Amino acid sequence: MSNAMTVEKFSFGQITATYKKMPGWLQNFTNATLGMTILLFLWWVGGVLIESNPDTEAFAAFAPGPALSALWGLLGTEFLWDTITSSLERILFGLFWGIVIGVPVGVILGYFLAVRQIANMPFQFLRMISPLAWMPIAVLAFETWDGAIIFLIVMATVWPIVFGTAHGVQRIDPNWFRVARNLGADGYQMLRRVIMPAIAQDVFAGIRLAIGVAWVVLVPAEYLGVTSGLGYAINDARDTLDYDKLAAIVVVIGVIGYLLDTVAAKLIKRYSWNLE
Amino acid sequence: MGSSNIWITDLYHYYDKKQATPTLEDINLTIPKGQLTALIGRSGCGKSTLLQMIAGLLIPSEGSVRINAHTVTKPSAKWNMMFQKPSLYPWMTVRENAALGLVFAGTYASKKDRVEELLDMVGLSEHKDKNVQQLSGGQQQRVALARSLATEPDVLLLDEPFSALDAFTRSALQTEVAQICHDYGITMVLVTHDIEEAVAMADKVVIMNHNPGRIVGSMDVELPYPRDRSEPQFIELKEYLFAEFEKIDQAKQAELEKQLAS
Repeated sequence: MSNAMTVEKFSFGQITATYKKMPGWLQNFTNATLGMTILLFLWWVGGVLIESNPDTEAFAAFAPGPALSALWGLLGTEFLWDTITSSLERILFGLFWGIVIGVPVGVILGYFLAVRQIANMPFQFLRMISPLAWMPIAVLAFETWDGAIIFLIVMATVWPIVFGTAHGVQRIDPNWFRVARNLGADGYQMLRRVIMPAIAQDVFAGIRLAIGVAWVVLVPAEYLGVTSGLGYAINDARDTLDYDKLAAIVVVIGVIGYLLDTVAAKLIKRYSWNLE
Repeated sequence: MGSSNIWITDLYHYYDKKQATPTLEDINLTIPKGQLTALIGRSGCGKSTLLQMIAGLLIPSEGSVRINAHTVTKPSAKWNMMFQKPSLYPWMTVRENAALGLVFAGTYASKKDRVEELLDMVGLSEHKDKNVQQLSGGQQQRVALARSLATEPDVLLLDEPFSALDAFTRSALQTEVAQICHDYGITMVLVTHDIEEAVAMADKVVIMNHNPGRIVGSMDVELPYPRDRSEPQFIELKEYLFAEFEKIDQAKQAELEKQLAS
């Protein structure tokens, strides 16, 4: 008979039930928000620990508060825009050459078993060398720093694209060639209507991996002589003790990397022909 | 749609120069226009090889295949082949698959209606915009049939095209394809090891022996379409063909024993 409100009991069962009733996009959104909140919380804890330790106190600006306010200050500035565009430019050039070299090599590799067997060892060997290990050679071989950086990115992107393409070609059903030939396809039509659509999803899967590696390699590569780009901005912020700005650039790197990956994932989905 | 005769003269084939007995030996065959001819024989008798030579996918070691005035040296949309597997392109819709031959020929824009009609004819009106992976095996083979017919071939070559289908779908398609052959006057050559299929579909059945692949006999089937498989005449023809195969086997056996004895 009491009018007192019963305290609703916290129940995981109820949460799970509500979650299951949500539409798919809302579930995804909830999960993403939860994940980012956890990340932000860990960052904040890290900040607190750094600040409370006398040895590391000088780096307190790494914490989310100062970093995000530095980021807010950077947004819309010409500096940030130039930094991002020069990095993206290098990535795109590197990726372009990675594709121009990687796709044809991948097609040959996928098509000819003998070539695959011959190339397997040397390619696996070369693939495992960190692209950054080529740095001294790149600096010798290229006149400009930009050239050297793009070379390093090509060294990073070419392998996933080669292997992705080769995998796609190997999956082609030989009957698709036979039928197309039978229907009167010439070489160009075979390429345009059969080979390209057949391997597109695997090529883009390779490109997605390539973008991931290239983005990781880009920052240390930009520690080289150049005076623009995200890697340079990080190095510069370190030298000038602008740790809040440094952390802000790290956030920018993460966001752009995420966006690039999303674009690649969309392309894979657009060109994939397996029905789930 | 001009139909044609196919002439195969003095054809021999060896896959390997060192082969002792040829894969195909002394094949001479005329295939009348607008009719359905079935090549039957056990696996390895070279019937599929012969079909691929008519299609221009393989070149005979000796002798020639002529379709009308052309000696066949390469594939052409005018002599089209349907395979055991439909081999559709999974990134395309039903319509895009059916239209592919016309796209290759650059005539799709002017012949769009033909693709629609063919898809209606093979019973896929409601599936034209679906991805081919959403179709059943029988429906997929119907798409392949529409694709083969879209280019208006004079000759349609069928390499066991129904063998992967269930019994009901198979017999329905056998009847339909034989009907199409006569309605459109397309010359068809069917390769099969299924005697009932041959009797159900063909105007003429050609019997092949293996090792070496040779033509050992032929039989005309003069039953009206659609054929009733329970009719006494139908059963009689089937039994006749079975008996022919048994004779071949006995002759082979006798030959083998003779060789072993000497």
